[in-house]
Amino acid sequence: MITILIPLLFAVIEFGDVFQRWLAQESATVQVARYAAELGGDAPEVRALLDESLRLSGIDPSAASLDITPARVGWREPLTVSVRTNAMVAIPFLFNAAIPLRTTAVVRGELAR
Amino acid sequence: MSAITTIAALPLLIVVLMTTLELGSLRVVAARARSAADLAVLVAVNDQDDGELQRSGTLVPAADAADVARAVFAANLDPIAPLLAAAPAGIAADAAVEVDAKPATVHLRVTVPVRTPLFGALFFHPITDVAVLANGGAR
Repeated sequence: MITILIPLLFAVIEFGDVFQRWLAQESATVQVARYAAELGGDAPEVRALLDESLRLSGIDPSAASLDITPARVGWREPLTVSVRTNAMVAIPFLFNAAIPLRTTAVVRGELAR
Repeated sequence: MSAITTIAALPLLIVVLMTTLELGSLRVVAARARSAADLAVLVAVNDQDDGELQRSGTLVPAADAADVARAVFAANLDPIAPLLAAAPAGIAADAAVEVDAKPATVHLRVTVPVRTPLFGALFFHPITDVAVLANGGAR
């Protein structure tokens, strides 16, 4: 009985945590994309904002990767910001796995008309 | 006895678990669609009419603000396209986008169809519509 109920209970808890993490990462990605658009692309301030946002959401920023494509944009040029992390899921008696979470936001450059 | 009860209740427990996961997934996709709409109206409203700004100093959305909002909305839906029941470009094309000159604002209202296969198997509801409304103003 334990081997059935415990995995079910942990599955609800663990996947709830993954969904919460996904939402937090999504929100951080959108904020970072907006900031990158205002600064015209990749910049140390943008990466610092991502680190801070992830840390406040309980996600280790050192395990996250940030892609800003292209690195520099002009006024009205599209800018794509992607953040990747891995969420660990551990369900007793079943499996332990790392679930890749990738969030992307597309904006347009707002620097120097 | 308890083992037999657990085994007998197992199908119900699994259905509850699957429903919970599907509901969580639906909430995440709905949040993603809402942030895509927020980004779309923000980008569109910031794309102002340069000529009018120089002439009168007032912020007026560009003539193509509605198209920009749809294009950015579709681009931000692309990463979750496999979870949607329609193509992002089609969803964005069906979106109602209103652009007001004074005050400079962009409003986007859209219904996003989301695939919910487990709800389909359990409740004959394979597609769930998520209503999204976003408003952006120039600063």
